[in-house]
Amino acid sequence: MDINVPQQVVNAIGLGSVYSLFALGYALVFSVLGVLNLAHSAVFMWGAFIGLITVTELDQPLWVSLPVAMVVTGVFGIILERIAFAPLRRRGAPRISQLISSIGASIFLVSLAQLVFGSQPQRFPIGLIPTDPIPGLPFRVTPIQVVILVVALLLMALLQFLVMRTRLGQRMRAVAFNQRTASLLGINVSSIYLLTFFMAGALAGAAGVLYGLAFSSITPFIGEPIALKGLTVIVLGGLGNIQGALIGGFVVAGLEVFSIAAGGSNYRDAIVFSLLFLILLVRPQGLIGQRDQSRA
Amino acid sequence: MNKLFLRVLSAMLVLVLVVPGSLLAQDEMAQMGDDIVEACPAPQNLPDTVTIGALFTLSGGASVFGQVQQLGVELAVEEINAAEYLGQGRVLEVIFEDSASDNTQAINAMVKLVEEDRVTAVLGPTLSREAFSADPVAQDAGTPVMGVSNTATGITDMGEFVFRNSLPESAVIPGTVAQAAEILGINSAAIIYANDDDFTVSGFDVFEQTFADLGIEVVGVETYATGDVDFNTQLTNIISANPDLIAISALAVEAVQIILQAQSLGYEGALMGGNGLNSPAVLEQTGDASEGLIVGAAWNVAADNPLSVAFIDAYEAANDLLPDQFAAQAYTGAWLMATAIRCADSVDGAAVRDALAGITDFDTPLGLFSFDEDRNPVHDPVAQVNRGGAFAVLTAEMMDDEG
Amino acid sequence: MMELLSSLNITESVIQFMLINAILGLSIYLTLYTGMFSLANAGFMAIGAYTGVILTQRLDMPLLVGLVGGMALAGLIALPIGLPVLRLREIYLAIATIGFGEVVRILILNFDPLVSSIIGQDVLITEGALGIKRIPKLTETWHLILFVVLTSYFIIRLHRSRFGRAMAAIRQDERVAANMGINVVYVKNAVFILSAMLAGAAGVLSGHLTRIISPDGFGFDLVVNILAFAVLGGTSTFVGPIVGAVVLTGLPEVLREFRQYRGVLNGLILMLMIVYVPGGLINPAGWSRLWRRLRQGRRDDPDPDAIRTTTEIRRPEET
Repeated sequence: MDINVPQQVVNAIGLGSVYSLFALGYALVFSVLGVLNLAHSAVFMWGAFIGLITVTELDQPLWVSLPVAMVVTGVFGIILERIAFAPLRRRGAPRISQLISSIGASIFLVSLAQLVFGSQPQRFPIGLIPTDPIPGLPFRVTPIQVVILVVALLLMALLQFLVMRTRLGQRMRAVAFNQRTASLLGINVSSIYLLTFFMAGALAGAAGVLYGLAFSSITPFIGEPIALKGLTVIVLGGLGNIQGALIGGFVVAGLEVFSIAAGGSNYRDAIVFSLLFLILLVRPQGLIGQRDQSRA
Repeated sequence: MNKLFLRVLSAMLVLVLVVPGSLLAQDEMAQMGDDIVEACPAPQNLPDTVTIGALFTLSGGASVFGQVQQLGVELAVEEINAAEYLGQGRVLEVIFEDSASDNTQAINAMVKLVEEDRVTAVLGPTLSREAFSADPVAQDAGTPVMGVSNTATGITDMGEFVFRNSLPESAVIPGTVAQAAEILGINSAAIIYANDDDFTVSGFDVFEQTFADLGIEVVGVETYATGDVDFNTQLTNIISANPDLIAISALAVEAVQIILQAQSLGYEGALMGGNGLNSPAVLEQTGDASEGLIVGAAWNVAADNPLSVAFIDAYEAANDLLPDQFAAQAYTGAWLMATAIRCADSVDGAAVRDALAGITDFDTPLGLFSFDEDRNPVHDPVAQVNRGGAFAVLTAEMMDDEG
Repeated sequence: MMELLSSLNITESVIQFMLINAILGLSIYLTLYTGMFSLANAGFMAIGAYTGVILTQRLDMPLLVGLVGGMALAGLIALPIGLPVLRLREIYLAIATIGFGEVVRILILNFDPLVSSIIGQDVLITEGALGIKRIPKLTETWHLILFVVLTSYFIIRLHRSRFGRAMAAIRQDERVAANMGINVVYVKNAVFILSAMLAGAAGVLSGHLTRIISPDGFGFDLVVNILAFAVLGGTSTFVGPIVGAVVLTGLPEVLREFRQYRGVLNGLILMLMIVYVPGGLINPAGWSRLWRRLRQGRRDDPDPDAIRTTTEIRRPEET
């Protein structure tokens, strides 16, 4: 069988940028709070719906829907933190409790979306974005695929800059390292948590809108398949490593595309999840991470 | 005196003008059950309220099917009661239960319907695997149960009280492939399907067998997982093999993505699907990417069948949504069950079962409908093609126009 | 009594699934009680279900043989999985076992083509996505009651044994337990295998009730459900997960009239329970402390009964 190598590389990059975009917020929460927020995929799904109704019900242009969705899902993030995480943290409950609580939040948000929006797939109006491939290239790539890649890279860079180079980021890292010390240093820990969740929610919302545009079928269940894949992505990247999330996204996508291109589409997911399993056993700090004593 | 005269005159005028008008209007409007009125006169012995159950997956991932099934049944029941189909003043009532896409909840709900609510008959469950779990409960209790979307083999083998009105892929795909191959001259094909879903896997088996029977070379087979949205990799593989036809064994949500992505990857050959793609929403959501898409299915969206047209209009008016095949089959299922109850003139399970099994050449949106001796549906499947955003019946002339 | 139950939609079939779920609850209880946050139960349930059903349906063995076979294979597979995986802690263990569950599900899905390509002839064993159908309904309510009672008795005996005290010690603090001379690796793996065998038994028994098994019945959703039994009931005693299973299996049936809100309620229950009633429903110490707290108006003291998995769960900076 002929393998169309350039096209498959493009496919891998396209898929990888979706995974990376999704995983950024996931990784951010883990890096600051050490918490696995399994409700991230539900917030992502709400982002897609909010972007959609901004366009279809409120008749706003597309470029408005992205910030609107980001702000709303950012608020979702804050509410999540207040209801599902903060009480547990204050009580000093085990981190596993936060994982369970986030599963509950996820079920709640998905069911609520089903009540509000129904189960029928909905889409952005046809013709809202150009869907024809960009002409003049030796492979086929659609404008939205390029947009997702660029946005994923931009957001990653922005996040990296924010966390590593700003005062705010310094405070976030201080809280991540040791909450009590941070608060002794005069850092308002609680507001750092809120801000982190706001940012993670907004990232999920942005990912949701772009995903909804690219794959034009939005249902309450779109978060579920990507939630477990996203887990693999951030584990590969080293839990809580923002650059790692980006790289992990491309690695998982590359692996999937490679396994299908090599004729093994039946085993694609088995390969991905076996990798998840193996990475945890062999290199729990992720592919590129260094062993972080405070986390592993 | 004059006043009385005027009144009589006006009353006569009303009679002359309005009554025939309304009779005429009824003649024009297609009405389900008209062809059975003579064979089965209005029932006399039914209770005031006849209760049936409807067991659909109304929540969870598969609720996308169950919810439209509920809408289809609700529309049918409204019409049945408006027409006093079960006799004057008697109403058909439906208890909807949710199986939540879960076999154990399907069993629990079936037990509740059959043993607690003591319904006359049950429509559903939505998924074949739920039917394999729950239908034995109805069979053991002697309550007729009719699947309106079960397509797996062996459903009705569970017992003589188990019916279905949904034509499986094996009844619709071979004819469609043969017809398309003859018209379009297809020599090679590729298949893409979800390998974790019983419906799509059955569809794949039928496509593969049919291609082998017709001597069409299969140049590529690709799988995906339910819920996937990115099919670029699989399609790139398939397109590299340069098939004349891509057969899509998928449900509507995934089919939409496959069609759109095949177009954006530059595929220009033919696309074909089965029952899962038989939804106006698929055409609506894919735009010009699905122009020329061939769909073999149990329900002819394109038909000039007046019952089908009336159903589509009424459904869209009621729900602001175009019906798909799931809705059409659920609607038909409710009418079939009501007809069996009317003809049996009884709410006894065995009597309704016998009446149901005896239904032959009943006019429905699916066409002239009968059950065979194994309680499987018999009606003509259809091969349709998307021309300009709407399904039309596939004919040689039609494709010639295109060339 | 029966009338009350049936007016609540609690029929015999519901009670049967309550008992199946109670077995699953006990399966996750054993690992949680030993401080292991393993989510592999759905995978082991699948292994048990397929083994048991193939024994009874294809080879015409009695249910008891299917049950023993299913439990045995689940336990056998747990051994090589547990040895490397149980070195991982809390979230890492959770993620790895989620990965294990998905791999099991996908391998069952592709088992026939895989085996066919290895032995070179077409076989039909797991039947892929179509699942194994027309399974005889062999499981009776009394089988389930007997199994739950025997398992509970076994767990009570276990708790009173040296082994049981070692389990509790590992939960409290793995390093201290090791210093006390407890063979931590042995105890953790033995518990993991026991837990897998219980999940396998639940699989066999439920397969012979639902009459069809297919891979999509053993996905991540099932893991979440099983976890919810333990969260709702609590894991301070083995009664907790049983109560959790009974309540969460019965609730959707009792709430049938409100079915469109069921998902919303399930999510809220899981979230609010873990946040506000961390010890679960069956947690006498927790309730009396809550009562004291309410009377004294104090709040937020650390809760020793919360689901606890490793020594390091309470990070010092968080208290």
